[in-house]
Amino acid sequence: MADKSKIGVKLPTYLLEVERVKSRELMAAIGDDNPIYLNKSKAEAEGYPDTPCPPTYITMAFQEFTGAYLDIFKMLDVPLERVLHGEEEYEYIGEIFPGDVLHCQMTCESIVEKKTKSGSLDLITLQTIFTNQKDQTVLKARSLIIERL
Amino acid sequence: MAPYVNFSEMEVGDMLPSVEKDPVTKTQLVRYAGASGDFNPLHTDDAVAQNAGLKGVIAQGPLIMGFVGQAISCWVPKRYLKRFQVRFKGMTFPGDTISVSASVAEKIAERENLRILCHTEAKDQKGEIKLTGQFEVLCPVDKS
Repeated sequence: MADKSKIGVKLPTYLLEVERVKSRELMAAIGDDNPIYLNKSKAEAEGYPDTPCPPTYITMAFQEFTGAYLDIFKMLDVPLERVLHGEEEYEYIGEIFPGDVLHCQMTCESIVEKKTKSGSLDLITLQTIFTNQKDQTVLKARSLIIERL
Repeated sequence: MAPYVNFSEMEVGDMLPSVEKDPVTKTQLVRYAGASGDFNPLHTDDAVAQNAGLKGVIAQGPLIMGFVGQAISCWVPKRYLKRFQVRFKGMTFPGDTISVSASVAEKIAERENLRILCHTEAKDQKGEIKLTGQFEVLCPVDKS
């Protein structure tokens, strides 16, 4: 069961360096060949200074490259094998470009217990705010994680 | 690429052109693991997935979200996309063919702009829903 005394707890701020090659790798894995995200001159032709990151680029900011999920689950005392990903939301405030350095601040926003026919669940909402090297907040992410109790 | 959707000409209830993906492959799940950093072996190792009671590896939910992101990027310039939310509903297996559809749910005029809310879903070849979601677009009114 998630430790409800940790509602409001923040992970120490961590950095994510935005790399062009990771955008390409993600696009290749998805099977998306949209030139706006891959080709600088095509992006410039649509008025961007460089290739913007695709809409789901930021997914990688929580996984093993940063360890953010692992760290927060440990902090909340949530065993990994009981965790399911329920929902994911991105609010786009500015664009993210290769070369940006994002400061990532993850907060445990809420933990709500829910009883279902197949057992009890903890619904854990994590919010992460991404601020770039110019101190502009460019994205807010919210993940709903389900812990099967 | 096909031109973006002109939301000035769209009404609530109108469907956007759906996007059909190639069948999901095991290689793709390995590539996505590497690209995203989600190295949970449920997505890459059949033996681990079978031990967990599944018939084999399942796709990462965020890969299917990525398919929807691809579709949205066909419909809307990235700079007009303001919010994108999904709820993961079902498991996707290698061989499943995902199609992404969306419809206009709200259309609100705000001065020179339109604020559009679309509902979206990703389904497989049997019509089973993998995720549902919504996205919000803020775009200039087309006066042409």
